[in-house]
Amino acid sequence: MGLIREAVGDVWSRRQLIRYLVSADLKKKGRDTLFGNVWWVLDPLLQMGVYVILVSVIFKRSEPDYALFIFAAILPWKWFSSAIGDAITSVSGQDRLIKQVQFPKIVLPVSAIMAGITQFAFGMVPLAVLLLLLYQDRISPALALIPAVAAVQLVFTLAFGVLLAALNVFFRDIGNLSRHVLRMWFYLSPALYGAAVIDEVATSHPTIAGLIKVNPFYSILNAYRSVIYGGTAPDWAALGWVLGVSVVFLLVAVWFFKRLEPTFAKVL
Amino acid sequence: MASPAPLPGAPDRQPAIDVQGLGVRYSLRLTRKNTLRKSLAQLVRRDDGGGHFWALRDVSFNVIHGESLAVIGPNGAGKSTLLQSLAGIIQPTEGEISIRGRLSSLLTLGAGFDQELSGRENILLAGAFLGIDDSEIQRRLEDIIAFADIGQFIDAAIKTYSSGMRARLGFSIATSVDPDILLLDEVLATGDQVFRAKSKERVLELAKGAKAIVLVTHDMHWVTEFCNRAMLIERGRVIAEGQPEEIVRLHEARSEEARRSAVVPPV
Repeated sequence: MGLIREAVGDVWSRRQLIRYLVSADLKKKGRDTLFGNVWWVLDPLLQMGVYVILVSVIFKRSEPDYALFIFAAILPWKWFSSAIGDAITSVSGQDRLIKQVQFPKIVLPVSAIMAGITQFAFGMVPLAVLLLLLYQDRISPALALIPAVAAVQLVFTLAFGVLLAALNVFFRDIGNLSRHVLRMWFYLSPALYGAAVIDEVATSHPTIAGLIKVNPFYSILNAYRSVIYGGTAPDWAALGWVLGVSVVFLLVAVWFFKRLEPTFAKVL
Repeated sequence: MASPAPLPGAPDRQPAIDVQGLGVRYSLRLTRKNTLRKSLAQLVRRDDGGGHFWALRDVSFNVIHGESLAVIGPNGAGKSTLLQSLAGIIQPTEGEISIRGRLSSLLTLGAGFDQELSGRENILLAGAFLGIDDSEIQRRLEDIIAFADIGQFIDAAIKTYSSGMRARLGFSIATSVDPDILLLDEVLATGDQVFRAKSKERVLELAKGAKAIVLVTHDMHWVTEFCNRAMLIERGRVIAEGQPEEIVRLHEARSEEARRSAVVPPV
């Protein structure tokens, strides 16, 4: 418990450092490309295009307004997967600095994940365009609940990112492994298909369906879909449960990170 | 010479740095870049993968305010590990380190610089990493830039800097914060003649202002000219500590001996 209090103190006392790291990260991501930060808008749209063609044209298994249906899931998933990718290398990539300066290392994964929020916020632009141009009848007051769902996702992302950042110092395989795990995770979450498909799967493969349902992104993506696509409030009970688990997970991850932190300078 | 005489002039003052029985042990298993496969294999075989070694052992000394201590020794003696321990970057495996005062470490110049960011942005970032209050670093920004003498390049990305410019900027940041204790690792041999003279001046000024300095260097002139104490370490242990001239002489004699025994022709 002492370690967790210490970590909270670290993050609070170094909030200016986190702010600088986040803005440096955003600046660098925008640089070196012709369109700069416009990519944050284009990326999810292009990905959506790929899946719309794949699923509704080739597989012919579509839902009404399929583009919006999957966009509601692609947007938060891209945030999650890129934030996790950045968090994993956040500590091991700063090896030179860690060996030269004493500072609380927890600021590194935290700022990597915080930088992702901006990217997610930029994603609201293509979402708004999509809603205004193509799906005006889907615009509803429930859209105002997006930040509530995003907050739950943020807690889970922080927990997972902090844990992997510490582990990757010791096992560099985490980076390679995570790419495949994340892809599998995406396909096993109700992103390209709805919750109804999972109920269908449950009749033939109950274990897989069960696995999909305990996955926090089952509830998180369903919640996004409710507020963006369905125009209804999310399943608060399911979302609350994910929040509770994520908070516990975050405490464990932070404790674990702080336990390993003193060895980082020696191992890197 | 082996045991230093108590230092005159400051009997009642608490030392700025007090190190007692410091030992730092590296686990060879951990320091090797691990992959899951290897670790699992080690776990299964119950093999600790080559044990450990002591980078420092039984190191005790203190530095009072106003003193500058030079740490000399051959490569791999543990000099940098010692500075890392003093800076709090590495936790001692045994022994105790107590530090009184604000500490600034300048271990390798510009190590923390972000290549993509400008010099100005890097000053702010480095200040935040060092834990300096943002308002303070903002206040000192112009001084830092002026001392580093980077000119209009201060708003260009660090990756366009020469290594000398980078070193100057790093030196300027680390010494700008009025540290009580300054740790320097091989930083004085950087930059051109003009900057070297300037940085010497700055270090001397800091030393005069009742600041304690621990300096790792291979430049023996510095040791004899500007340090008032020296410590020789070899293979993680303190060999001798005392007057700079004596210690430098001892170090040179021992290095010469090592060189001679190293060039013995193979049988």
